[in-house]
Amino acid sequence: MLDLYDKIQDCVQSIKNHWDRQARAGIILGTGLGCLVEKIEVQATIEYGDIPHFPKSTAISHKGRLICGELRGIPVIAMEGRLHMYEGYSLKEITLPVRVMKAMGADLLVVSNACGGLNPYFALGDIMLIEDQINLMGDNPLIGINDDRLGPRFPDMCEPYSHELIEKALGVAREKDIVAHKGVFVAVSGPNLETRAEYRFLRTIGADVVGMSTVPEVIVAAHCGMQVVGFSIITDMCLPDALHPVNIDEIIQTANEAEPKLTELVLGVLPDENER
Amino acid sequence: MKRAELDRAASEAADFVKGQFSATPRFALILGTGSNQLADAVSSETVIDYGEIPHFPRSTALGHRGRLVCGQLANQPIVVMQGRFHLYEGYPRERVTLPIDMLAQMGTEFLFVGNAAGGLNPAMATGDVMLIESHIDLMFRPPWAGDPGQAVPTSRRTDPYDPHLLASGLACGRHHDFPVHQGVYAAMLGPTYETRAEYRMLRRIGADVAGMSTVPEVNAATRHGMRVLGLSLITNVASPDAPQATSGEEVIEAARAGAPKLEAIVLDAIHRNS
Repeated sequence: MLDLYDKIQDCVQSIKNHWDRQARAGIILGTGLGCLVEKIEVQATIEYGDIPHFPKSTAISHKGRLICGELRGIPVIAMEGRLHMYEGYSLKEITLPVRVMKAMGADLLVVSNACGGLNPYFALGDIMLIEDQINLMGDNPLIGINDDRLGPRFPDMCEPYSHELIEKALGVAREKDIVAHKGVFVAVSGPNLETRAEYRFLRTIGADVVGMSTVPEVIVAAHCGMQVVGFSIITDMCLPDALHPVNIDEIIQTANEAEPKLTELVLGVLPDENER
Repeated sequence: MKRAELDRAASEAADFVKGQFSATPRFALILGTGSNQLADAVSSETVIDYGEIPHFPRSTALGHRGRLVCGQLANQPIVVMQGRFHLYEGYPRERVTLPIDMLAQMGTEFLFVGNAAGGLNPAMATGDVMLIESHIDLMFRPPWAGDPGQAVPTSRRTDPYDPHLLASGLACGRHHDFPVHQGVYAAMLGPTYETRAEYRMLRRIGADVAGMSTVPEVNAATRHGMRVLGLSLITNVASPDAPQATSGEEVIEAARAGAPKLEAIVLDAIHRNS
């Protein structure tokens, strides 16, 4: 565990060979943030395979690269290609890029995901600001000896998602007439979708949406003291008493349709150029 | 570690401790976070650092010292674990419970398992004691995970917490005039403290307190047929609708203040069962 610190330094060194700037924000381009890449003024693109200790992209079905550049005038590092627990990666592997973003100077993490809606007031294509999370993945990226240089042994989790940024994003949503909720995201390991009984269970324990990502990265962001803003796109409705078989094409179409809205919200919550 | 290896490790550890402390400790006590002063109540004859005991892992947790205090409490031989091992430290479950296997080989019949826990039940206050009536294992680390064929099924389906020890612990609180609750302990993997949404979940599923220890040890003790009393010191009461940050240091401070109550209950239980 104590070798993690050195690994992070190796990664930073390697990235600085391509892009020697202080980042302000790190962005994990989950489902629904594809368009955002087009808004980044790209200054460097680095394949995961060229960064030491990064999980090799061979196992990833999609792209695996870091995009460094400016978004609305702000220096950012964006991950194109995210890793999931169900692919067999350890949570430490999955979260290494977040630590590297922090070490590159980022104190804000932007995450997005596609998720199943449990709250019956939500509709397909709606966006939810993640207000809080429940970890049901059965694992935690911080297990092992704690390195106090990276964060506290027992991180507090009373505000893993910045309330200030949630309110800011909801304000932008109202202004642009975009439907946006706030609610609780529960993470499960997957890869199978939930049964009807599991949906009822998740709803009973207080979740509004369910997904298979995000929570490990947010735990590590809390550990290293980053502000987090998280967006979920509801790409299928998981109402146990009116459940339809999942149609992947439909999910992708829903996510694509929501992309422009999500991009607006992300651009809206980013700090101003001059603000620090 | 395979079952046979583990049994051998436990017996080598027991032999080592017996070499320095020859009495049979019918009673054993695991101290939770911040309860170190309870060890001072023991008229200690031998103190052994975990590092000296064969096969023992080292405790890396905040507020835990990592040593075995062997001596007399209420004129009874006792072994006190000052510091314990946690799953969040990265140890597999069977390593966390190695000390319990060792105590069983030394002849321990009564195990007092202490911990610092976050209160979820709004009837509880910081500094209160809760005796564990039952638990919910949300640690996602079954014994012998990844080592099929090694699990030892236990025949007991009943709760592992001894009802007589529980009842007399509650009575002890009344006699000494301090609040003692009974309730359900939810064991979480940690090391993150719970989110507000997780507190609400735990409350809904029936938990009264949440912590990151105890359940592995209690299950091991049950397997050895020990009578178990679980004592949670409420170090903070979660209020998910009016959240406040929790720090490890605050937890330790609150636990320190509540330690005399634990001591009274443990002494009473030893008296009654001597």
